[in-house]
Amino acid sequence: MSRKSLLTAAALSAALVLSACSGGSGSGGEGGGDGPVTLDYWAWGTAQPGLVEAWNAANPDIQVRLTDAGGGTDSSAKLLTSTRAGEAPDVAVVEYQTLPAMIVGDVATDITDLVPQDVTDAFPASTWDLTRFNDAVYGVPQDVGPQALVYNSARLAELGITVPTTWAEFTEAARAVRAADPNAYLATFNPGEFGFFAAMAQQAGASWWEVDGESWSVGIDSSESVAVADYWQQLIDEDLVKVEDLLTPQWNQELNAGQILSWPSALWAPGVISGVAPDMTGQWAMAPMPQWTPGDDRVAYQGGSATIVTTSSDHPEEAAEFAAWINTSQEGADIQLTTGQYPASTLGQTTAEGSAPPELMPQQTDFWTTASGIAQNTIPAITWGPNVNVASSAFQDAMAAAVRDGQPLSSALAQTQQAVVADMEKTGFDVSG
Amino acid sequence: MASTTAPPAHPARAGTPSEDGASPARRPRQRHRLAAWTMLAPALLLFVAFLLVPIGYALWLSLRGLRLEGGGPFGRRVETFVGLENYATAIADAEFLAGFGRLLVYGALAVPFTLGLALVFALLLDARAARATRFSRTAIFLPYAVPGVVASLLWGFLYLPGTSPFSWLTDQLGGGAIPFLQDPWIFASVANIAVWGGVGFNMIIIYTSLRGIPEEIYEAARIDGAGEWQIAWRIKVPLVAPALVLTGLFSLIGTLQVYGEPTTLRPMTSAISQTWVPLMTIYRDAFTRDDLPLAAAESVLLAGLTVVLSVVLLRLNQRRIFGGS
Repeated sequence: MSRKSLLTAAALSAALVLSACSGGSGSGGEGGGDGPVTLDYWAWGTAQPGLVEAWNAANPDIQVRLTDAGGGTDSSAKLLTSTRAGEAPDVAVVEYQTLPAMIVGDVATDITDLVPQDVTDAFPASTWDLTRFNDAVYGVPQDVGPQALVYNSARLAELGITVPTTWAEFTEAARAVRAADPNAYLATFNPGEFGFFAAMAQQAGASWWEVDGESWSVGIDSSESVAVADYWQQLIDEDLVKVEDLLTPQWNQELNAGQILSWPSALWAPGVISGVAPDMTGQWAMAPMPQWTPGDDRVAYQGGSATIVTTSSDHPEEAAEFAAWINTSQEGADIQLTTGQYPASTLGQTTAEGSAPPELMPQQTDFWTTASGIAQNTIPAITWGPNVNVASSAFQDAMAAAVRDGQPLSSALAQTQQAVVADMEKTGFDVSG
Repeated sequence: MASTTAPPAHPARAGTPSEDGASPARRPRQRHRLAAWTMLAPALLLFVAFLLVPIGYALWLSLRGLRLEGGGPFGRRVETFVGLENYATAIADAEFLAGFGRLLVYGALAVPFTLGLALVFALLLDARAARATRFSRTAIFLPYAVPGVVASLLWGFLYLPGTSPFSWLTDQLGGGAIPFLQDPWIFASVANIAVWGGVGFNMIIIYTSLRGIPEEIYEAARIDGAGEWQIAWRIKVPLVAPALVLTGLFSLIGTLQVYGEPTTLRPMTSAISQTWVPLMTIYRDAFTRDDLPLAAAESVLLAGLTVVLSVVLLRLNQRRIFGGS
């Protein structure tokens, strides 16, 4: 009787323990010398499924599995933690601003030797500055997001307001909108949108991070950045822009109702607006971003990403081949254009000029010509620091607190500067002023 | 939750002859003990693997830090030993401590309302004159079955000025939208979600405890002339005190660990920062700022505080839970 109970106990325990252990998941890709290689690819955006499908159809021996790991912030956070576990995907899309953090976090591998000459020649020389650090290449540029002003042309025409070409004109236009329609705003301002504000500061001439030899210098609260902060502060104080988070259900509703009349952002904006306001086709248009000095044409990038090969990958050569193809081939460029991405490659940009305008603005036949003009005037060589993620999170909180407590936005810049420098010094970087 | 403990398991009696006639006193006890350990083995294994090992790893990780190696502007961040530096940073972090302050306000709202409402509902359901008890029990319990994120999104839309029916009502009456998602009402709004979800669960615990009270006590009270109110207040509530302490403990631990509601509401309001409660700070440090060791140190501090508060709560109510006169 007791022996039976012992045996039963042993059998039950074994069953429970075995069922509790689940099979582990494999890391990186599988496949060996013979048999197809499978690569894992983390990317977000509407262009990606098409790109992966096109590659898989043409390359049966190197198959790619696509996973949407969330937008720029989410997927970069996941890449960092999965690299610590050695389980990051083979290929991933990383925004240019996050790339230095990925290098320092040992996520992106050096692919200088895996990029053949024809791929190097496929991009304008200055574009490689976005992914080259310390003379090593860490990613293949995919798309670029030069800033541009996307506006509701139907409503602005209705209210009799001309499209602003300078920031002074922008203020005037904002006043005119408020006077003409108390429910409408020329634009919304999201205090936490780090990428937008950084681009605005860069347009004004600020340089938030710079490498001087072996040390960094951080200039987040430089006078140019403060001037930009004060400009938007004035717009907020006079109730000329609405302080609101972008792309929330609330914001989408206001956009559709014609209460938000422009979105200063970048060339990828039409695709996003089509997604949240499909009924507004034909009512929007794109123009170059307002300038500080009349006649100027400087703009910065806002967003845009590169494809990296990770240090966890078991097949870096195949991964680099895939990364190069989706960003330099004709099929890749076509897919990027139809889904609203502005390609970084020369081929892509040339193809763009002959393409139909984005879905949102079929009436703007000169869209791509204007776009390529804007792209040629982007400020070259903007340096991003090794802790942009810290800067972004400190910036978000500081700005939100400033808006909530009625403090000037420039004080938020000072707080962000402090947090960024403190973090870099704690990690061990040499920071000079 | 029961105020009595189970009677101890009946040990094997010494002197029982075994099948092959060998020493009767030792064999059955050894076999029982072996069987007991074998039965416990899976639970112990899981406990060690999923509780002790991660806790040990977190403690070890909290003594490490990610520091630059390889000099120059693009060195690599590598894990090295840094001693108690992470703890010093965590304790000196004003935002982390402010999170605890906010928890105090949140807890002061959420815990009394959850327990108070749970007690009231349980008493009402237990009253002699109660009707439709089964329907009511299920209806009150239903919000607990809604997953936390779904509940937060649900209430988020009920709070947003553009979609809130309450704000629409006050707007129609000329009062404008209700500022659910602004300071300081944000505390009440977040607490409301927790109360809405937690009342059902706590009510079931208290109700079960009430059901365990023998009827004779009520009969004796009624004979002595006590009304239903007096029975509820002076007899039932003291007798379910252990259950109340238990639910209080759960609520306390739940308050210290609140994370889902503020995080889900964060995109809808600027009143909630990334570090509104300590767990959000821990998440930000671990994943957004890629500083797992600092987050580990903060987690250890939070867990330590939870243990201390739980022990204090239980000690203060020692007699009520564990019997004694």
